[in-house]
Amino acid sequence: MSQTLLISGPPGCGKTSWILNRLQNHRGPCGYLRLAGYPDEGLVQAPDGGIDLAYLQDQCPRLLDLADPDQALASRPANLLALIELPQFQPPADSGLAGVDRRVIPQLEAMHLSPDEHLHFGRDDLLPRQDTLDFNSLQALERNLAGSVWDPASLSSFWFELVNGAYGDVYRAKALMNLPDGQAFFCNWMVSQEGSQFLPLQSIAPPDCRPERLSRLVVQGKDLDPTALEHTLADCLLSDAVLELQQAPLRQRQAPSRPSPAK
Amino acid sequence: MIAMAHAVISCLHANFAALEAVLADIDQQGIATITCLGDLVGYGPQPNEVVDLVRQRSIPTCQGCWDEDIIEGLNACECSYPSQLAERRGHLAHQWTAEQLGEENKAFLASLPMTLRRDRLLFVHGSPNSQHEYLLPDMDAFAALERVETAGAETLFCGHTHRPYVRELRDGSIRARVQDGAASGAPSVERQINLPMRRIINAGSVGEPRHGNTNATYVIHHEDTDAVEIREVPYDVERTCRAIVESGLPPIFAWRLRHGFEYAERADDASHVCER
Amino acid sequence: MARWALISGLRGDLEAYEAIQEDLRQTRRVDTLFVLGDVIGPERECNALLERLQQPRRGEMEPQCLYGWWEDQLLAERGYRGQRRADALRLSQGETAIDALLQAVDPAYMDWLAGLQLGFVELGCALLHGSSVAVDDSLGPNSSPLFLLDRLTRMDVNRLFTARSGRQFRLELSGGGIESQVRDLEGQRHHQQSVPPRQVIGIGAGIHYTLYDPGSDRLDFLIAGSKPQQRARGFA
Repeated sequence: MSQTLLISGPPGCGKTSWILNRLQNHRGPCGYLRLAGYPDEGLVQAPDGGIDLAYLQDQCPRLLDLADPDQALASRPANLLALIELPQFQPPADSGLAGVDRRVIPQLEAMHLSPDEHLHFGRDDLLPRQDTLDFNSLQALERNLAGSVWDPASLSSFWFELVNGAYGDVYRAKALMNLPDGQAFFCNWMVSQEGSQFLPLQSIAPPDCRPERLSRLVVQGKDLDPTALEHTLADCLLSDAVLELQQAPLRQRQAPSRPSPAK
Repeated sequence: MIAMAHAVISCLHANFAALEAVLADIDQQGIATITCLGDLVGYGPQPNEVVDLVRQRSIPTCQGCWDEDIIEGLNACECSYPSQLAERRGHLAHQWTAEQLGEENKAFLASLPMTLRRDRLLFVHGSPNSQHEYLLPDMDAFAALERVETAGAETLFCGHTHRPYVRELRDGSIRARVQDGAASGAPSVERQINLPMRRIINAGSVGEPRHGNTNATYVIHHEDTDAVEIREVPYDVERTCRAIVESGLPPIFAWRLRHGFEYAERADDASHVCER
Repeated sequence: MARWALISGLRGDLEAYEAIQEDLRQTRRVDTLFVLGDVIGPERECNALLERLQQPRRGEMEPQCLYGWWEDQLLAERGYRGQRRADALRLSQGETAIDALLQAVDPAYMDWLAGLQLGFVELGCALLHGSSVAVDDSLGPNSSPLFLLDRLTRMDVNRLFTARSGRQFRLELSGGGIESQVRDLEGQRHHQQSVPPRQVIGIGAGIHYTLYDPGSDRLDFLIAGSKPQQRARGFA
């Protein structure tokens, strides 16, 4: 039997991790939709830019993208688990489906989605308790990194500076980053939690060009310094020449060896 | 005045407020003899002020790796930076410093000797072999002793690592068996050498500390007792941070200094010596 | 495991090289020939030897060559070392020696000489003309063991084969230790370090050459064209 769950909560509370866990434990078909959320007063909803979907699809290759219009029109498979993620700072006024933000319903109806259940982080016991924060005023900063490749050691330094406040008071940082060996990492940090997550994606890009897959940085916080951050990014990303220097030996190692002549 | 005591400072890195505070600390103890182990400039916002003060105080100084790089118009080899980010920041700092430094101060840096010697005390920036060689506190003990012995010193003062320490190497001996190929049929000869006690004293850094907080560090050597004191001196870090921003250097330098981090990470492989 | 032959200091002497190759032809289980520099010198014309090193005759072992002190002086004088010239040679033996060296080697061989490496590292053994510090680093049987240990430590190898001194010798570090006490802002720590069982081997020069078995650690000091004069005891 199909099930559609709406999961809401503030940034960094662990929605995506919980969703991934549910998806991996479900035997049947799965679908995912991330809603943009609504800019409550003083709080800017950072557009996710597709980071969560890209990461979940990498981990669950048969995941259906419920935002895809074709999916809206197609008949849903039986036993579909549909998970809808909604960034929401404030806890709902009412519990259960009655607490679903009214603005969400027409959006979901257009996609032929109707939640059977609504769970909110911090309110519902079915969800893990996270130390969610009280946000009063929040800025957001986003950078499209498509086609960019990082010097790995520079990425470590940059991320350290970012989460330790060098570019403003960062509450949440999330990114998909490309490395020169074709790997990509989902980088995730929340001020309320200890340590960052650096989770490798399954897919590896070929070492002959700049990767075309989604790559993005999203930062939420206060007194953010986009100029300084841009300056550092420019120093961390590899030029064509340097990238070629790093990819050429990888291509050589991957090239099939010449067959030995027949005796 | 403290009898028979001298102070050793190092790695000033154009940090005027830190240098002033350290010299005040030294003066307040009545120590008249100061030796500087180089790196007067590099990354920090006040290269001329720092060099001027060292010249004004007539502090004997040996040339550091940054001092050499500015004079020679070179950048340290890429292998001393572990990341592209650190390398870019280093190059920017180098270029800025070279543009800011006056001709007289450049000539002063160019005139600095590689080493300074006083009796059996030797003063160097990195090691007796090179301004770029790190003498880390846990490097191979025999190699450390070799550095001091080959230089003909009993106590070696060094900097470059930005983390102060005092290292004593004692009770050393090496046994060897030697077979001389020219002596036909001769058996091998056993030898033993007993190694003298030697010390390496790292003066830390005045201007860019890397020991976990923002205090400047330097050392005092009491020659009568042979005791060594590692001194930590707090100073007005914000004054230097403001100077960094006002000078047009990247604000990230101010953030790193304020949090007690080095301006740009150095490579972990301390055994590497720049082949330049 | 097959053995290595190590030679050096030929200084243009093709006859000596041929004598060694003849010895090796009659010696079993030698599969690698290392030439640790100083194939040239001012005493005689070197072109024939240089040609033979690059184009071995049928039945001859192909040499793996490094550069030595004489190569370094010539490369410097010919402008292959930046601003540096053959100052050491000039100082020690004067302009006559410089001229003789330049005459001894056809410029056509300069690129080959410039392509030679400083050293090889194979199976925990370093092979160099001098040491990793300098090509003119002369390590001999009477060198300070502290100094020799440092040269081994820099390369982190168990065996260091060197030729600069021209001597054939084997110095084995057999024991000893040192105490290290460090005090810093975090506290104090104490460490006792032992002398590692490493060796420095001088391989000789000219017709004096060395055979080494990396499998058994056995060394033989030999003279080309004669019966073995002296066998080094193999240290297992």
